[in-house]
Amino acid sequence: MELVDRYVHEVGQYLPARLRADVEAELRSLLTESVEERARAAGLPADAQLTADVVREFGVPRDVASRYAPEPQYLIGPRLYPAYRVAVKIMIPVLAAVVLVLMVIGQFRHPGEPPSMAPFIRATGSFFSGVLFNLGVMTFVFALVERAMQTREAAGTVWDPATLPPVNDPDRISYFGRIFVLYLIAALALLFNFFPEWVAVVVFNNADSRVYPLLEPAFSRYLPLLNAWWALAFALNLVVLRQGRWRRTSRWADFGLEVSNGVILLVIIAGPPVFHYDMWVKLVLQVFLVVSVIKACAMLYRLLVRKAAEPWARS
Amino acid sequence: MVMGGTQLSLRDNLSLELRRGALVLAVLTELRHEEYGYSLKKLLADKGLEIDEGTLYPLLRRLEAQGLLKSDWRVEDGRPRRYYRASAPGEKLAKELAAEWQKLAGVIGALIE
Repeated sequence: MELVDRYVHEVGQYLPARLRADVEAELRSLLTESVEERARAAGLPADAQLTADVVREFGVPRDVASRYAPEPQYLIGPRLYPAYRVAVKIMIPVLAAVVLVLMVIGQFRHPGEPPSMAPFIRATGSFFSGVLFNLGVMTFVFALVERAMQTREAAGTVWDPATLPPVNDPDRISYFGRIFVLYLIAALALLFNFFPEWVAVVVFNNADSRVYPLLEPAFSRYLPLLNAWWALAFALNLVVLRQGRWRRTSRWADFGLEVSNGVILLVIIAGPPVFHYDMWVKLVLQVFLVVSVIKACAMLYRLLVRKAAEPWARS
Repeated sequence: MVMGGTQLSLRDNLSLELRRGALVLAVLTELRHEEYGYSLKKLLADKGLEIDEGTLYPLLRRLEAQGLLKSDWRVEDGRPRRYYRASAPGEKLAKELAAEWQKLAGVIGALIE
């Protein structure tokens, strides 16, 4: 019966921990009984050959375990997987192109230098670390969205045809777009918190090119504020994705986030120097601030002018 | 050959689908009396319904998780066995499914003729 033990153990490896011991005990009991019954009926000894026959009929361990599992165990399920593949397929060539362009620019800046493999090796290293970073963020975001969607479906509310949106629905969301926003927020938060040296600018002069980190250590004073904003923006996008469309409450929350974004920009611009090339960076931030103000005004106008909620836009 | 293989696979899949709902009804009906996994398999086989073990045993667990069966471990003949029996909601559901089955069988039977 050693084969039964090996088989039961193998099935158990594919089961959730909370089910494992119980299912293993039952399987062992059932298989042992099957082997003995079959041996008795055939008048044969319960040998290895007979045991192998019973186990073979029972099925491949992974398949058997999947029949016991209460629900499919996906990190990214079949519904989101095509979008995940598209996102990865876009990310890899874009990253490769960026790394290639930077490498070529670097080469052009040093036309007199003898050919060397060093820039290529550096670029390859940057490419692979970039792919790993982005792949990690994307997988995290997609897995989170997968869980959010499962929770929505598990809620099991009764569907009302009146909630069907119109054909030209201004509140319809693009799932891919929302997931992309989530990815951007997660990537930015990770970048600023754990890899601040990657937020850098390449400065070329006649003789040399150098990489300067943009963030001075003093920038860390704004991190708690930025982290809070990213967390709220992430949560809002996840909620919108879960609801499947913009609603009035989520539109107001989005407006609130845009206003707070403007306030944070204003605080950083008016504050002490925290960037390398502080003046130039703050000039760029001023442009961001103007865009943010215009966006907030447009959002407010839309919220105030729009008619009372239609049945499909109820919060 | 490929075409034949495809047709056979399609037939197998459709046949499996047809049997799936019936298995739940068969199991719930038989488990009005207490049985353990292997004895239930034999009982159903003796009545003409062959179910492979890899399908039947996980089905018992799922029905139990849904509250349609209850179970307890007992040692008999020196062997630990898990005995299953339909719960009150399981018995009620079995009656409803049986009525549905009779109706469906009548309609399909008439259609086939």
